[in-house]
Amino acid sequence: MNNLCVDINAFAGHWPSHPVDGDVMEVVASLSSVGVDRICLSPLDAVWCRNPHHYNRWLLEVTRPLLEVLPTPVIDPTVTTWREELDAVASDSRVKMIKLHPNYSPYALTAASDCLDAAGEKGIAVLIQTRMEDPRRQHPLQQVPDLPLNEILDVAEKHPDVPIIAGGPAWPTISVEKERLLELPNVFVDLSQCDGMNTVLRFCEMGLVDKLLFGSHTPLFIPLSAVARVVIDLDAAAATKILGGNAARVLGLEGGKDF
Amino acid sequence: MQFIETRSRLRPPCPVVDVHVHPLANFGSVPIKSPEQDSRLLLEAADRAGITYLCPFALGAPPHIDPTPEQFREANDWALAMREFDPERLLPFCYVSAAHPEKSVKEIDRCIGEHRMSGIKLWVAVRASDRRLDPIMGKAIEYNVPVLQHAWLKTTGNMVNESSPADVADLGCRHPKAKIIMAHLNGCGLRGIEDVKSVPNVHVDVGGGDPESHIADIAVDRLGVERVVYGSDAPIRHFSIVLGKVMGGRLTEKQQRMILYENALRLLPEWSAKSLRQSSDSMSPRRTR
Repeated sequence: MNNLCVDINAFAGHWPSHPVDGDVMEVVASLSSVGVDRICLSPLDAVWCRNPHHYNRWLLEVTRPLLEVLPTPVIDPTVTTWREELDAVASDSRVKMIKLHPNYSPYALTAASDCLDAAGEKGIAVLIQTRMEDPRRQHPLQQVPDLPLNEILDVAEKHPDVPIIAGGPAWPTISVEKERLLELPNVFVDLSQCDGMNTVLRFCEMGLVDKLLFGSHTPLFIPLSAVARVVIDLDAAAATKILGGNAARVLGLEGGKDF
Repeated sequence: MQFIETRSRLRPPCPVVDVHVHPLANFGSVPIKSPEQDSRLLLEAADRAGITYLCPFALGAPPHIDPTPEQFREANDWALAMREFDPERLLPFCYVSAAHPEKSVKEIDRCIGEHRMSGIKLWVAVRASDRRLDPIMGKAIEYNVPVLQHAWLKTTGNMVNESSPADVADLGCRHPKAKIIMAHLNGCGLRGIEDVKSVPNVHVDVGGGDPESHIADIAVDRLGVERVVYGSDAPIRHFSIVLGKVMGGRLTEKQQRMILYENALRLLPEWSAKSLRQSSDSMSPRRTR
């Protein structure tokens, strides 16, 4: 049994409307302190940047000495040079996944079709972020609606060879889309925005255990809460899959991608 | 990751009082057939998280945002029936509405005077700045019980009669002898903390909203640790995710103990605090069913 703990969805950097400890070393230390072994880290500043690629070079450089970090660059397929950017970041062997923020750029997911194909050809997974903040808690001048989970499922259906991770969907939407999640072998769900009593336990009872990935949303959220979400209610076998076994399979951390 | 080790790290350092719990019949995702089943399922989840005492308040099934006196009375009967399952650990609050001040006062006399419920819950029927709350607050002072007042500051807009932190501050100023708990630290946010800062009888519970980094640390820094209490908003929220707000930040173990247990002991009435003090004497982090 693989006991690796992989955080599929963490960030480093600044957030405009809430104070966060976003320094790379602080993020890594806070996650290591709760037992995380591998951190899929992407640039937080890129979320609001008109060209998110601006922060990818920084990310790759600053994380180079950190063996626990899997740098996760942000690609925006509406920036003209996206393909060049994808080629550049993919040449770094540590890059197993890229991240998209369609609702912040903003663009319709249909605009990402070529990008998904290109990522698939390179053997790279794609995390599509659905939410950064609860819409009720956003800055009044920075209101961004969630990206609906069903839109991610629609594009995943058209790109069956690309591992696609829904980043941080609100938990009620996961229950609603249970059937389609089970039907699509290339789709996985990051749990970083899930809450509610017995929620993850119920997802497992629905048969979703192989689809669920541990994510922390650090530094916006508290790492200990993310671990608690998985560890408190589940048995060791289910928790081990969610904490890292599934992610290792999706990202090819054990060699081979058998999603 | 060592699974057992990690799980034990999530155990709270002391007994825990959760001042903000709803019956599963009101907000749960599974059908509930009886108060007994409601209590049992809540306590099972609480046990896994290490939560010792729960203060549930029933709001109706489905919840009544503007209840008639009959509806809040029926909701309170459910909460009283829930308590029968484990009277030592379940410390229900009485749900009333300032839209019906006289009937609310009578209901408080019934639920707290006769049946020794542990506090009063006010939701979204009337804003806290409305003078119709005054008779209810008078009763809360008379019985020396806390009033947990729902509050949020929503970017998307509050409901018409939904209290903001500023409304709660107004309530606290009007009734300086009342012990008020403003619900939803995350919902009230960084601005809401400042709204109540100068009103020392207003406390905040750490529930409601996501486990945002350092929100509890900031509340302690701005309000003082004695004004922050643990309330999860379960089952809408997860007991342990909310515990992480207290245990996963910069707070010392002494501060964590105050938030998780000691501050609630001070707020709850004597009849409720008796069993809580026994727990403190034994220093047991949690009772196992």
